[in-house]
Amino acid sequence: MSEEKMQNAADAQVAGQGATSESAAGAEQVAAIVGWGTAGVNAAIALRGAGYAGVIRAFSDTDILPYSPILTSYYAGGEKTYEQCFPWSAEALAELNVEMVPNARVAKIDAAAQRVGTEAGAEYAYDVCLVAVGARPTTAGFPQDCGYEPLVLRTMDDAARMKAAFESAACKRVLVSGASMIALKSMEAALNCGCAVSLVGVNDHILDFSALPAAAERFERGLAAKGVQMRFGQHIAGVRVLDGADAEGSRLEVAFSGGDVERFDEIVVAHGVRSDLSLLEGSGIAVDRAIVVDDFMRTSASHVFAAGDCAQATELVTGEKRVLGIWKTAALQGQCAGRAMAAELAGGEPAQADAYRGAIMTNTIAVNGTLFISAGLVDPREVPGCVVETEETDEMTVVRLYETKGGASEKRLVGFNVVADKDEPGGTAYDIGAMLTLRIEEGCRG
Amino acid sequence: MALLEGSDAYWRFAGTCTQCGHCTGACESLTAAGMSLGDIAKALLDAQRASSTKEELAYAIATNGQLVQAVRGCFFCTSCKNTCFAHNDVCDLIYRARVDFQNLGLIPREAWSSVLVDQEWDIFTAYRAIHGIGYVDLVRHKAYEGHEVETGLTTAFFPGCSLAAYGPELCREIFDEVDRLADGRATMIDSCCGSSLKSAGFFDRAEALCDRNADELAAAGARELVCVCPGCANDMRKALAARGLNVKVELLAGWLAERGFAPKHPLPEGTICLSKSCQDRDGSYVDEVRAVLGLAGSADAGEGAADGADAGTDAAAPAREVVIYRGCCGAGGAVSAFDPARQAEQADGKLSFAPDGSTVVSMCPTCTYTYAYRLMEAPRAVTNKHYCELLFDSQFDWDKTFAQLGGMWSGEYGPWLAQVFA
Repeated sequence: MSEEKMQNAADAQVAGQGATSESAAGAEQVAAIVGWGTAGVNAAIALRGAGYAGVIRAFSDTDILPYSPILTSYYAGGEKTYEQCFPWSAEALAELNVEMVPNARVAKIDAAAQRVGTEAGAEYAYDVCLVAVGARPTTAGFPQDCGYEPLVLRTMDDAARMKAAFESAACKRVLVSGASMIALKSMEAALNCGCAVSLVGVNDHILDFSALPAAAERFERGLAAKGVQMRFGQHIAGVRVLDGADAEGSRLEVAFSGGDVERFDEIVVAHGVRSDLSLLEGSGIAVDRAIVVDDFMRTSASHVFAAGDCAQATELVTGEKRVLGIWKTAALQGQCAGRAMAAELAGGEPAQADAYRGAIMTNTIAVNGTLFISAGLVDPREVPGCVVETEETDEMTVVRLYETKGGASEKRLVGFNVVADKDEPGGTAYDIGAMLTLRIEEGCRG
Repeated sequence: MALLEGSDAYWRFAGTCTQCGHCTGACESLTAAGMSLGDIAKALLDAQRASSTKEELAYAIATNGQLVQAVRGCFFCTSCKNTCFAHNDVCDLIYRARVDFQNLGLIPREAWSSVLVDQEWDIFTAYRAIHGIGYVDLVRHKAYEGHEVETGLTTAFFPGCSLAAYGPELCREIFDEVDRLADGRATMIDSCCGSSLKSAGFFDRAEALCDRNADELAAAGARELVCVCPGCANDMRKALAARGLNVKVELLAGWLAERGFAPKHPLPEGTICLSKSCQDRDGSYVDEVRAVLGLAGSADAGEGAADGADAGTDAAAPAREVVIYRGCCGAGGAVSAFDPARQAEQADGKLSFAPDGSTVVSMCPTCTYTYAYRLMEAPRAVTNKHYCELLFDSQFDWDKTFAQLGGMWSGEYGPWLAQVFA
């Protein structure tokens, strides 16, 4: 299916556009879903699975089908086609009988009046509402007024722009600012397109929130072997867009905080993501780093739920409410929210068995054949008195982080990293990663 | 009502799959099918969407060779799940798909007629009946001729089907030791965990069988269940937890190690190749087996190489080379009933990692059986043992077992068996 057809297929989902100021009272019940990513779609699946037959109205800020943000870098790097980035077909979604409101950014949720308002001024009543707006990349720290809009990676549009940039004959040197998963996958996409890549990060190593130093260093050796130039402890101090191409064709002159000046053709900024929660202003809904939810994804406001990257739910190792920002977590939270919404719409309470069980942070990434697996807490500062054990073999490095009690006599595995020089599906590194992940989860659940 | 019983589960699974496709490369069956796990869920839902009757649905699935390959070619080894970045539960997906295949008549009767372990006769009970193998004297929580119901029992021993059928002397020797260590308060649950039922698509019946075992255990009053096989331990733990029964389930290896049990004879010379059970999800069981064999040492990172095996010298026994095998022996998932050649290839693939002169040590008696069968067909200079054989004096006699199994069908019981398993 072409991009045009993918959009047309999404259009086919649309129904009830312009149904402004509809009242839910006395009419068919309405479940509103703000955001049509994995959390939103999974909520709709759960609502229908629970037998809810009323209206599901989903608001999307695009007019394409829900896509997998995980796959955007695969698309940008030529590993997946555009069509392969969409987990659900139009036919599958049509089965859910969802009334789509496309290209409609929700600007306001009035929890008291139970209404959703769009930027275009339309208002929609709801009986229950799920906020699943996800998150957007931030370019904070990048010189905003330099005249160049850096590449970011989150949406299909972002990926399409990145792909076009990398595949351009003029693009030979790419700078990636940031050292996160997204930074590394962007870097891989650039390498796949034949570009030379340089990386700059403010911390001492890559994957600063996911990797312990021994693991990061092994991964960095893998990247260096692929020709990636890395600068750590630095940031982009300035960018100058050159008038006309120089001899090498590079159009961006970048000054680093360490004093170096180099030229690049494109810059990727991967400085993390943030949820845009401005739609909640005045709603009274409790927000910490994201929307605080209980074990059924209920917010502090009646009839309003939240799930996915914009929700702060239980993290198992700490027991705290945290944003995990993982596809599966978003899916499970969406499913939990959908079941709880269905229970409320049916006039009851959600079953305890349907409560969100919490999750641990997990990250797996393969960059040009080097594999990194991480789970749990891997920042020693978060685990006072922890013990870090490192094992290195010719094939991989495994770093375990233990919480200790009673003077190190009682250890609980709370996090780990595995870095393998080869990414072999079904191989030992994956087995070890899965085993250790299970051990952390079992340790948390007792 | 949805045509597929697992429809909701397929929706849920598809909803948690990113479609990255990384799992495909972890499995020969998925590779042959050209499908990812998410593709399986989607293909089932697509077939359902395109069908208005069960007959249409059965036809749609049966003619989708890739889907049939992916569902019936699964060993439940979880290699794909481990590789999945989200660790999505392949077992749940494939078990449910098998249930739907069974409901739609897509699994031929000959694939499961002899392994209905919740019925009076299956291949194990038939073998035992024909060869006079029974344990009523050990099942102390029930009244049988010769003994009354005993009370005050603390420990239940669960040998599982293969050990009880093919290793009666070993089974009895283990029970005696368990009973000794339990101060004479042990009994035996002479039943099955139902894994073969699940593989054949009878999920509810497998769960019902585990529930029945749980009832028996509750009636016996035992507070701990000691299982020989990791799969039995996992299934029974799940069943007991679901019923809220406060019974501790342990693998025999760990239970013995905790009690300071020492092997009754020295370990064989040469490399010890531990075949890690597919059911040993977090690797704790293999640690217990190593502990009871006196091979405990640093775990995990020293185990396994990219191809599923590696050598590491154990700290506790410096002269002993220990190799850990990962992946299925070939017995899982009843793949043999779908693609016998693939089962053989899988077993051969695992055995190929064992150097000549080494001893392959399995955690599940069915794995030992599977390796024994392959070594009978394609002899190698390796010794094949279950971990219990390294702990106790009694041993399996596979030559005798295979001769007796083969003879059952041609001897005086042949017609009866043919009728029972028709």
